[in-house]
Amino acid sequence: MELIILLVIIAALAFWVVAIYNKLVALKNRYENGFAQIEVQLKRRYDLIPNLVETAKAYMSHERETLEAVINARNQAMAGLQAAAADPGNAAAMKELGSAEGMLGSALGRLNVVMEAYPDLKANQNMMQLSEELTTTENKVAFSRQAYNDQVTEYNSYRQSFPPVVFAGMFGHGTDAELLEFADSAAIQAAPSVSFN
Amino acid sequence: MNFFQAQDNARRKTWMLALLFGAAVITLLLLTNVFIAIAFGWAGMQTGMTFSQTLAQVPVDSWIWISLGVIGVIGVASLYKFLSISGGGKTIAEALGGTLIHQNTQDMKQRRLLNVVEEMALAAGMPVPPVYLIPEPSINAFAAGFSTDDAVIGINQGTLDQLSRSELQGVVAHEFSHILNGDTHINLRLIAILHGILFVGMIGYGLLRAGGYSRRNGLPIVVAGIGLLIIGYGGTFFGNLIKAAVSRQREYLADASAVQFTRDPSSIADALKKIGGFSMSSHMTNPAAEQASHMFFGAAAQKFSTSLLATHPPLDQRILAIEPGWDGQFLQNSPAAMTADQRSHAERSNRAETAGVTQLADGPENKAQGIVDQVGTLSAAGLTAAQNMISNNPEQLTQAAHDPFEARALIYAMLINKEQDHSSEQQLALLGEQAEAGVAPHVTRLLPAVRNSSSEHLLMLVEMSVPALKELSFSQYKTFTANTAALITADKRVEIFEWVIHRVLTKHLHAHFEGPQNIHGRVGNINKLADDAAKLLSILASHSHEDTNEQLRAYNAGAAELGIRKPYSKQDSFDYQRMNDTLVKLRKLKPLAKPALLKACATCVLADSRVNAAEGALLQGIAATLDCPLPPSIYS
Repeated sequence: MELIILLVIIAALAFWVVAIYNKLVALKNRYENGFAQIEVQLKRRYDLIPNLVETAKAYMSHERETLEAVINARNQAMAGLQAAAADPGNAAAMKELGSAEGMLGSALGRLNVVMEAYPDLKANQNMMQLSEELTTTENKVAFSRQAYNDQVTEYNSYRQSFPPVVFAGMFGHGTDAELLEFADSAAIQAAPSVSFN
Repeated sequence: MNFFQAQDNARRKTWMLALLFGAAVITLLLLTNVFIAIAFGWAGMQTGMTFSQTLAQVPVDSWIWISLGVIGVIGVASLYKFLSISGGGKTIAEALGGTLIHQNTQDMKQRRLLNVVEEMALAAGMPVPPVYLIPEPSINAFAAGFSTDDAVIGINQGTLDQLSRSELQGVVAHEFSHILNGDTHINLRLIAILHGILFVGMIGYGLLRAGGYSRRNGLPIVVAGIGLLIIGYGGTFFGNLIKAAVSRQREYLADASAVQFTRDPSSIADALKKIGGFSMSSHMTNPAAEQASHMFFGAAAQKFSTSLLATHPPLDQRILAIEPGWDGQFLQNSPAAMTADQRSHAERSNRAETAGVTQLADGPENKAQGIVDQVGTLSAAGLTAAQNMISNNPEQLTQAAHDPFEARALIYAMLINKEQDHSSEQQLALLGEQAEAGVAPHVTRLLPAVRNSSSEHLLMLVEMSVPALKELSFSQYKTFTANTAALITADKRVEIFEWVIHRVLTKHLHAHFEGPQNIHGRVGNINKLADDAAKLLSILASHSHEDTNEQLRAYNAGAAELGIRKPYSKQDSFDYQRMNDTLVKLRKLKPLAKPALLKACATCVLADSRVNAAEGALLQGIAATLDCPLPPSIYS
């Protein structure tokens, strides 16, 4: 009877839809895990900065503003990270974290420029080790950010493709996840180019 | 029962499951037809005809169509589930809402768990499985995966909070024995198979509710719904029967293996006692847990635990099986006990008991048998060997193995030419171009420690790096494999060690990124593959000694072990293509045919009573390709 065939076809379609839902959930899960890795690396970075500032303070007692700017930017970034970790992929949170990280990058960059005037500080063992670690952490942040962005792209592409796009909205996957962008700062290592214009 | 026997049994069980499943389907068909007949008859009686009159009017092929329909739906449901688990063990962890625990986590409890899992995986000679944290407060755990390559461990938050390190070790050992015994393979298949027969009940429930809301003609729908519901519970009955038949006995076995491994029955007994004494016990709240109920350490739902349909033996029976003198008291987790334990958090070594390690008799024959016997087993000696290797490892390398970024640099470093020469310069330059920012300098930093480590150590580091590497995104993984291939072929030669690393890595990572491959061993008799076995032994023998006569002796020892009469063909250099082709064929061996091959390889290698680096590495590569986890203790 045609009714039976119809029933089987409907069952197949129903499962197909469930499979779409499951894949959306799995891909989301994956980029959330990816974000958690960024979190590990960023936390490491934020932990290194107070040490850096303390070491620098001993040599750069008159550069209080620059140093404070770094600490403030770092605290701001930490807050941004906490907000983002609560909802990875959320557009507002990602943009917030991106800009906070960008500001931290600039602050560190300025610190780097200022440090040029203190060769003793640059030669300090502790400082060198911290800079080294910071650079490594920067690389790791960049790498984990790349992984996260790859995974977000996979989720978004799937979500926008046909047929998932038809069901995504009603399954609670109505919006694209946001990529995490900020200028990867090799701030401490790169010698800044000074223009005399 | 040894590893190979267990693997073989695991495959046989599949036939029994198929039979039971067939019985379930037939029952479902019968019940469906009966209920629809009743429904028709009842409808007919409303219009004044008798029951049998109505039924006579129904065309015969209707029953056939209905039956086909039921089979069709069951088939579709099972197919759907098969597809959804095709990603391997991690799909289960994700379905249960698990979050991946990162290898470089700073959380103390998680670190401790990861250390326990890592030690155990290395002790068994398998890649370290990723660990997922399940957000449930009860004490439970599971292992899932088709093989060691896609295996994952899942641990409840409650387990982390409530158990001490040694109790945790007991639970993890229990789960590992499931992986090594092939239980996880069957259990995963079971989820897909059972989904087909459980699904019918779900439709019934849906129809029941739909019919209840409709005004006109609601009753037939409700009846149909109730009918399907009852039929469905017929399927559920068989489903649980199947689960129970498969898993319940295995639980005792896994408990026993865990005791044997940790040499400390109190650890797993205490874990069980804590489950008994804990308010939430081992119960899972996530509805998805029901489907996987047979995969957990403790019973996931409060079913009548003494019934035939229980997936786990009753808690008290399990405790008594381990601790015959148990006084019946469960354990309440006390804050004092926990703080005392916290003080030793994240510690690596346990009081590893070295007593009772059997001394192998000296003859190469017995030693070879000893090696084969160790495959796929967990032993206290293996754990000690693993712990020693881990603690002897430079901190720098251990840390590298646990970080996704650094782990790649570590592998690249292993593939850089040992001597500082034109070749190594070339390779580093290649990395500078093709790898991500910061990789090449990191490789340079790791090189001294890597060059200082034995190949055995490096292979252990490869197994340690696997979970961190599994965190790469797909395109990062592609770049990584392209780079490793480029590094290997940069000097136009493929060395044995390079081959082994590539082989082992590809196998472990492929399962995660591109789906597990299920090789179904079909060849039961090694003589059918005598040519390939001879090739394999020839390669091994060629590297066992400088002297051709010694090589011949080694080859003959191995060939005699296997009973094959092919001649030795000396290999002047390592031909990796030949090796790969040979192994592809030999992978088709059935589990019970593998020990003989491995023993022959071991005999060949041990013929001169020395295992040099090349032989050791080759043996590891061969064992890994044949899915035979080789514990490190064979080298002690």
